Amino acid sequence: MLRSLVWIVGIIGLFAGVIVIAVGLYASVMGVIIPVLFDGGVLGGWLSMATFYLSAGLGILVIGVIFGYFGAKAQGTSLGNEVRAFLGGSTFRYIVRRLLYMIPVALGVSIISFMTMYAAGDPINIIRLGKGTFTPEALAALRAYYGLDKPIPIQYLNWLANLLQFNLGKSLRGGQPVNLIVGNWLWETAKLQLVSIGVALAISIPVGINSARKQYSKQDVVITSFSLFGVSMPTFWLGLILIIIFSFQLGWLPSEGAYGTTFLWGGNAILDQIAHLIMPVAVLVYVSLAQNIRLIRANMLEVLRSDYILAARASGLSERKIIYKYALRNAISPVITFLGISLGTIIAGAPMTEYVFNWPGLGRRFVEATTNLDFPVVMAITMIITVMALIANLIVDLVYVYVDPRIRLR
Amino acid sequence: MEKTAEEKSGAYKRRSASQWAVAWRRFKRNKAGVAGLVVIAAVFFVGVFGGFFAPYPSRPDNRAYEPFYLGDVRKPPSWKYPFGTSAIGTDILSEVIHGTKYSLYVGVVVTLITMLVAIVVGSIAGFYGGWIDNVLMRITEVFLVFPSMLFILVFVRIFTITVGDPFWTIPVIGLSIPAGLTIVTFVLAIFNWASDARMVRGEFLRVREFEFIEAEKALGANNMRIIFRHILPNILSSIIVVASLTIAYAILVEAAVSFLGFGDANTVTWGQILQENYADMRNVWWAEIFPGLAVLITVFGFNLLGDGLSDALNPRLRD
Repeated sequence: MLRSLVWIVGIIGLFAGVIVIAVGLYASVMGVIIPVLFDGGVLGGWLSMATFYLSAGLGILVIGVIFGYFGAKAQGTSLGNEVRAFLGGSTFRYIVRRLLYMIPVALGVSIISFMTMYAAGDPINIIRLGKGTFTPEALAALRAYYGLDKPIPIQYLNWLANLLQFNLGKSLRGGQPVNLIVGNWLWETAKLQLVSIGVALAISIPVGINSARKQYSKQDVVITSFSLFGVSMPTFWLGLILIIIFSFQLGWLPSEGAYGTTFLWGGNAILDQIAHLIMPVAVLVYVSLAQNIRLIRANMLEVLRSDYILAARASGLSERKIIYKYALRNAISPVITFLGISLGTIIAGAPMTEYVFNWPGLGRRFVEATTNLDFPVVMAITMIITVMALIANLIVDLVYVYVDPRIRLR
Repeated sequence: MEKTAEEKSGAYKRRSASQWAVAWRRFKRNKAGVAGLVVIAAVFFVGVFGGFFAPYPSRPDNRAYEPFYLGDVRKPPSWKYPFGTSAIGTDILSEVIHGTKYSLYVGVVVTLITMLVAIVVGSIAGFYGGWIDNVLMRITEVFLVFPSMLFILVFVRIFTITVGDPFWTIPVIGLSIPAGLTIVTFVLAIFNWASDARMVRGEFLRVREFEFIEAEKALGANNMRIIFRHILPNILSSIIVVASLTIAYAILVEAAVSFLGFGDANTVTWGQILQENYADMRNVWWAEIFPGLAVLITVFGFNLLGDGLSDALNPRLRD
C-alpha cells in the first residue's frame, strides 16, 4: 500500500510538474510575443507569472522524480522504463483525449452562462435599476471602462481572450480585478472541502462496512435511518440549528467567518481557525456521510455475497483481511465514481453552508455576486468551478482504473 | 383451441394485474415505506385543505398581519401561536401551512417535467443507439458536469428580473399560478433531468436485449409499439421510484434557493420564511426551526416512500 502510494505521488508530481511548466512556458512566450505584436502590453506581469510557474513547476517535478524513482524501484522497475511505457500506453492517450474533450465542454459552459447573463440586458442599467442619476457621458465612460459598449459576441471574445491570459476581469462593483481576490476565496473553500471530504471518508468506510456485515441488526437500522435522515435534511437548516444551539445558546463556537479578530480558544491563530471550522465541517460531513454510507453499505452487501468472498472464507483467511483487502476494493469503486460526479455539486453545495456560516469562500462570494448581478465575478467563479470539476472528474476516472483494473480506459 | 387462447389471455391478464398487487403486498410489509406513505398523505392533506384550518390567512391578505397589530411580534411558541410569530409579526404556523401547497407544487411540477424530458431523451438514446445515442449522451454529460446549483441561482436571478406580474393566470381554467415560483420550478427541472435520462437509457439498454423484444420484432411490431407497449411498462417501476426521490430533491433545492434570497418574494414558501427571519435569527430562532422541520419531514417522507417502493417493485435488489 505504502509503496504504491509513493508511486502515485511520483506520477502525480511528474504530471503536475509538466503541466505547470507548460503554463510557465506559455506565459513566457506570451510575455515575449505580446509586446512585440501590440506595442506596450503587460510585459512585467507576464514575465513574473512565467517565473512563478516555471519555478513552481520545477519544484513539483523534482518531487515527482524523487518519489517516482523510489516508487518505481519498489515496484521492481526503473523510472525511465515506466515513463516510456506510460507515454506509449493507453492511459496517456486516454488523458490526452479527455483533456481535448474538456475544452468544448468548458467552452460550452462559458458560452451558455455568458449569453444568459449578458442577454438579460446592459449590466450597468440592471444594477442601477432606475436608481442614481448619471449623465449620459458618465454612463458611456462606465460602459467603455468595462468594455460593455461593444456587441455581445465581441464582448465574449474579449472575455475569452482575457481568460486565456489568466485575467478574470474587473468586478462591476468597485472595479477591483477579480484575480487579486479570488485566490483567497479559493483557498478558504478548498480548506473547508478537503477537511470535510477527508473526515467523511474516514468515518463512512468503516461504518458502511460494519452496517453491511450486520445487515438488519439494530446497529444497521440505526445507521441506515440516520443516513436517510441526512439525505432528507436541508444542508443550510442543519447549519442554522447548530448555530442556534452552539453559538447562541451555549456560546461555545463562533457563528460565522473562517477566522476571528480576537482569537478564540487561548489566543492561538490555528486553534481559532479550527474553532471556526468545526460547525461547517460537521454540516458538510453529515450530508456526504449519509450518501457515502448508503452507497458503501449497498455495494458491500452485494460484494459480500459474491463467490470469491466465499472462496476467501473457505481458504481460511482472517475476516479482517477478507473485508479490507478483498471486499473493500470492489465495494469502493462506485463510491469513487459518485465522488467524482458529485465534486461539482459538492463545491456548489457549499454556497449554502458557506452562506449560513458567513464563510469567506467561493460559494458565498458567488451568492453575493449573483445577488448583486456582478457578472464578471459570477463568470469567473463559474469557470473556476467548472474547470475544477472537470479536472477532478478526470482524476477520479484514473483512480477508478487503479482501484479496479478490470475497467479499461477506452 | 379457442379455449386455450382464452385461457392464455386470461392468464396474461391475471398475471399483469397481480404484478402490482404483489408489489403492493410487499410494500405493505415494509413499515418504513408505509410510514412514508402516511406522512406524504398528511402533507398532501395539509397542502390541499390547509387554507380551511390555518389560524390566519396567507400573506397578501392583510389579516395575516393580525399578530403584528396585536403587538405580538417575535413571540416565542405558546398556546396562542404554537410555532411562535415572525420578525414581521405573522403567525408561523399559518405560514408553514400555506407554504405546504407551494412546496408540493414545486416538487410535483419539477418531477413531471424532469421525467418527461428524461424519458424522451433516455428512450431515444437507449433505443436507437449509434450516433444519436452518442450526441444525446454528450449533451447529458455537459448537464451532469454543470455545477447545477450555481446555474440555478444565476438563471433564477436573471429570469426573475424580467417577471412583470406576480401571478400568471392560465387562460382556459382561470387558475392563477405564482410567476416567480414557476420560473424557479422550470429552472430546477432544466438542471435536473440529466441523471434520470442516463438511468432511463440504461434501463432501455437492458430491456432491449430481452428475448421477448426480439420475438416482438420478428412478429413485425414497429418501433413505437415496442417502445410504448413493451419497454416502457417494463421500466415503469424504476421510473416511479426515481420520481418519488425527485420530488424530495426538488422540495429541498427550492427551499435552499428561497433561503438564499433568490426565491419568489410574492409566495411565502418554507424557504422564504427562513430567509425573511434569517437576519433576526438570534431573536426568532423558532422561525428558523419550524419551517425547516416541515421541509425535513416532507422530504423524509418522500425518501422513505421511494425506498419502500424500490424494495417492493425491484425485489431483485433486496437480498
